[in-house]
Amino acid sequence: MENTDEILIFKTNVKSEPDQERLREIFDSIPLINRWNVDTDDIDCVLRVVTRQVQANDIIRILTETGYQCQELE
Amino acid sequence: MRVRDENKEATIRQKAMEMIVEEGFDGFSMQRLAKAANVSPATIYIYFKNKEALLNSLYHDVHQTFARLALEKFDPNSSLESGLWLQWKNRMKFIFEYPIHYRFYELFRNSPLIQLKDIKESGFKEAMKSFVMNAILRDEMARIEPETFWSIAYGPFYSLLNFHLLGKSMMSDQYSVTDEKMKRLLKLVLKALRP
Repeated sequence: MENTDEILIFKTNVKSEPDQERLREIFDSIPLINRWNVDTDDIDCVLRVVTRQVQANDIIRILTETGYQCQELE
Repeated sequence: MRVRDENKEATIRQKAMEMIVEEGFDGFSMQRLAKAANVSPATIYIYFKNKEALLNSLYHDVHQTFARLALEKFDPNSSLESGLWLQWKNRMKFIFEYPIHYRFYELFRNSPLIQLKDIKESGFKEAMKSFVMNAILRDEMARIEPETFWSIAYGPFYSLLNFHLLGKSMMSDQYSVTDEKMKRLLKLVLKALRP
């Protein structure tokens, strides 16, 4: 249930379909991530992650290491 | 830990509906909504994953509100005349009590952006269907297809009400409906529906 999960919100530059594909490969390998999506309509390409245990810093590290910009939105 | 706040969510929903009704869906963005609702974009994304999800959730809510009001005291076994009159009254109540909801509903009623599979059936469709079937079986109205029925039974109602909402018509700068005017229209509609 989403209610007990934490929702993390980030500003990214994950824009294109291939970018999302790349992210999908990474996130699919992390079972602690329940759901995620990137709103590519938005100028901030907002990444939304629903997770119980993954921390915001982990997400930022993963994206940055893959070559993307990622910053938590407050 | 981010906590869901129902008041905040309600404000976001209301603001979103107002913006979409005033400015359309094309220019609508989560960023502009955030500014208008005086919350951070991140707050909006806690509740909705993108603007399509928000739109569908709003539509779902509006449909539930409409169905709740339309079904108030409604008996699918009632006569065509009293059942249709109550439908008109109930629908007027919805339109007057929730004008923004109504405009939003009208905008997206047949929009491809709405995923109908996500809409929980509220018993509304069933009640309307059985109301019409009963009237046909009792020989109160002609056997016509649902689209034709709707056009005759509700088309005139919404047209007349629209003059009221505009506050004017082609004949006059001031126009408002009354129960009396609606009743006169109902008589004509019933005449048209007869077998």
